[in-house]
Amino acid sequence: MLRPLSTAVVALSLLLPAQSEARSLVLAIGGEPDGGFDPVMGWGHYGNPLFQSTLLRYDAELNLVGDLATDWSLSDDGLVWRLSLREDAMFSDGTPLTAEDVAFTYTAASEAGGLADLTVLSEARALDNATVELQLSEPRITFVSRLATLGIVPAASYDEGYARQPVGSGPFQMVEWREGEQLVVEPNPHWHGGEIAFERVSFVFGSEEAGQALARTGAADLVGVPPSMADAAPPGMKVLHVETVDNRGLAFPMRPRAGETTEAGTPIGNDVTADRAIRVAINQALDRGALVALALNGHGRPAFGPADGLPWDNPEAAIPGNDPAAAMATLEAAGWTDSDGDGIREKEGLKAAFQVLYPASDSTRQALALGASEQLREIGIDAQPTGSSWDEIGALMHSQVVVLGWGAHDPSEIYYLHHGDYAGVDYYNTGHYAKPAVDAHLDAAEAATGFDESLAEWQAAAWDGETGFGPKGDATWAWMVNLEHAYWVSSCLDVGPLQIHPHGHGFPITHDLPSWRWTCE
Amino acid sequence: MSGAVDPTLPLPARRRNPRRRATRHGVVALALLGAVLLAAPLLPEGALSIDRAARALPPDPAHPIGTDMLGRDIAARTLAALAKSVQVGLLAAGASTLVAVVLGLAATFGRAADHVVGVLTELALGLPHFVLLIMIAFAMGGGTTGVVVAVALTHWPRLSRIMRHEAQGIATSDYVAISRALGRSRLWVARHHLAPHLVPQIIAGFIVIFPHAILHEAGLSFIGLGIEPHLPSIGVMMSESLREIMAGHWWVAAAPGLGLMLIALAFERFGEALRQLSGPPGATT
Repeated sequence: MLRPLSTAVVALSLLLPAQSEARSLVLAIGGEPDGGFDPVMGWGHYGNPLFQSTLLRYDAELNLVGDLATDWSLSDDGLVWRLSLREDAMFSDGTPLTAEDVAFTYTAASEAGGLADLTVLSEARALDNATVELQLSEPRITFVSRLATLGIVPAASYDEGYARQPVGSGPFQMVEWREGEQLVVEPNPHWHGGEIAFERVSFVFGSEEAGQALARTGAADLVGVPPSMADAAPPGMKVLHVETVDNRGLAFPMRPRAGETTEAGTPIGNDVTADRAIRVAINQALDRGALVALALNGHGRPAFGPADGLPWDNPEAAIPGNDPAAAMATLEAAGWTDSDGDGIREKEGLKAAFQVLYPASDSTRQALALGASEQLREIGIDAQPTGSSWDEIGALMHSQVVVLGWGAHDPSEIYYLHHGDYAGVDYYNTGHYAKPAVDAHLDAAEAATGFDESLAEWQAAAWDGETGFGPKGDATWAWMVNLEHAYWVSSCLDVGPLQIHPHGHGFPITHDLPSWRWTCE
Repeated sequence: MSGAVDPTLPLPARRRNPRRRATRHGVVALALLGAVLLAAPLLPEGALSIDRAARALPPDPAHPIGTDMLGRDIAARTLAALAKSVQVGLLAAGASTLVAVVLGLAATFGRAADHVVGVLTELALGLPHFVLLIMIAFAMGGGTTGVVVAVALTHWPRLSRIMRHEAQGIATSDYVAISRALGRSRLWVARHHLAPHLVPQIIAGFIVIFPHAILHEAGLSFIGLGIEPHLPSIGVMMSESLREIMAGHWWVAAAPGLGLMLIALAFERFGEALRQLSGPPGATT
């Protein structure tokens, strides 16, 4: 009798302190980076670099506040940023963070050409230990958002293995990363931002279903769920809906098929979608409200442009949609008629048909592809949903329509998506759109003397009364929905006020992870 | 199929009962197969389309087995999925049987050929089945073609071993030797002596491979290496039903699961009965 009792006492004594002191947290929010945790290569571009800290950061209202920087200013010609750094910042290995590290990080990132686009940076100089100057080659008003997303790496210990063994001055340090399975982190004892309420945080990766299963067994405290599942939270968890600028739309190939190929040898152009009438008709026909109901279970809002509701959005450029009659009139006027009676229109022997590619692993994009295809069939366009891997989509996205998504806290994305210089670069401007008038507006916006002054030019790029990338102009996209990111959160977890999330269901929610609190005993 | 129950085959009297059993199982299996293949094209237009007004409905008169998260009728979708799975299964099992027969017959062309086929068969048998399937399907880039090729390339060894054994037995028998001595060509011998004896084996082998092919198609689609996720396929439906079951929508999983089980079971039993009827005692396919 004695032994079981003592075992129980030992077990209890092991359990109790763990309960009352700092506890560990399990998150199943996906978003595992393919390339590891190297900010120089783009880690942290959306949301939060976790291991590293940034010069500035966005607060919950998206205002810029200092993180590593205590003071910052932009010169009158818009070319030089000068920042003063805090003196108490330390990397997780205990070495202090200096202006040298900042200069090193910015120089490395501008040379690496990852997702953190710094091509405009001509020089990063450390003036003294706590002051750094960033020299731009031309005015780039959106550069400020780089200051809030690029995590600083240590110049002394940065090497090729960094992405797998990150050392930074952020709130957490890595304990273990098993690719495809989980990432375990613990608080960085040297962090300058204060106490963290958890002794350990595990990020579990895997399928959507696996995360939900963890939530149902009580093993996970925060789980990202697809919008269609949001309402079915298990007991002990509450549903958290976060508003986003994370959008989904159909990206059109803009050029006719003329035998061109990308450097990788994949085809460019599509004769059907190169016709503006097709693209405009699709924008006119789509019933976006129905797509929100179908694919998002109502948890979202219709999207009409790449940045709905943000200051640089131009509502004038939108086409309201859900008007099949107008869409059909547009197609008729452009010569697309159904002459052989099969329900699909033709023009000079060319069928109004194309593939709509979606990543097979993403149930929301699949539903959007199916829903859009259904709606387009009614106006005589054959949009064939095709589930693929990202590799295949990468090969076909310049010649077929793709369900893509974007959404960022700054307008530079508008630039990348529509400027001719970014034709075929990564997943930006997949349609190889290049229009001098639009490029001129985009360049003018970046060259503006201040953020407020740039807004008019961003809007003009979408629609300036004559042309633009928006649906009324060249209709480079048919935007469909803005998501609402849904999470199941343990009722004991207080995640505090949340900002509007950018693209990426997952890591953005960890932006304020250091200030989360556990409210149960 | 008639070859399997060919009345001209010399069958001992005690096998009459297994024969009737095989016929019974055969009728059931073929009726199921025919019903699925005939009914699927008769589905009314729009039966498979999404309907946002009818999302995740439990069974009711309009949708006898309910609808899924996108408002697609489960009954119609299951039927279409079964037809698709059956077609893929027939194709893959056919290709697999062909490989087995070619290799089995090739083994009769001399000692070296026999050795090569033997080693190849043992090698293929030694590899883990599903791992090989996944590898081939992945290398083919997934999709329907990937599934068919993967199943075709993994299901031949057992049948091929039987083919080889049988063909060798016949090729070394006295009447074949006499036939050859009388000046008959190899081809003539193959047609008149080998083929009639092997046909029942081939058919039984095909029937046994078929349910495996369907199940493996479903398996591959389930893990996302098979048929594209928006097309009706049993594996895809089962995989989708995973997250719906957790939301309490049991009907999404029930119909495709039961349908697949029924067809696989019917053919498994038919194949088993045929094997007992025509195969050498104790041989397994």
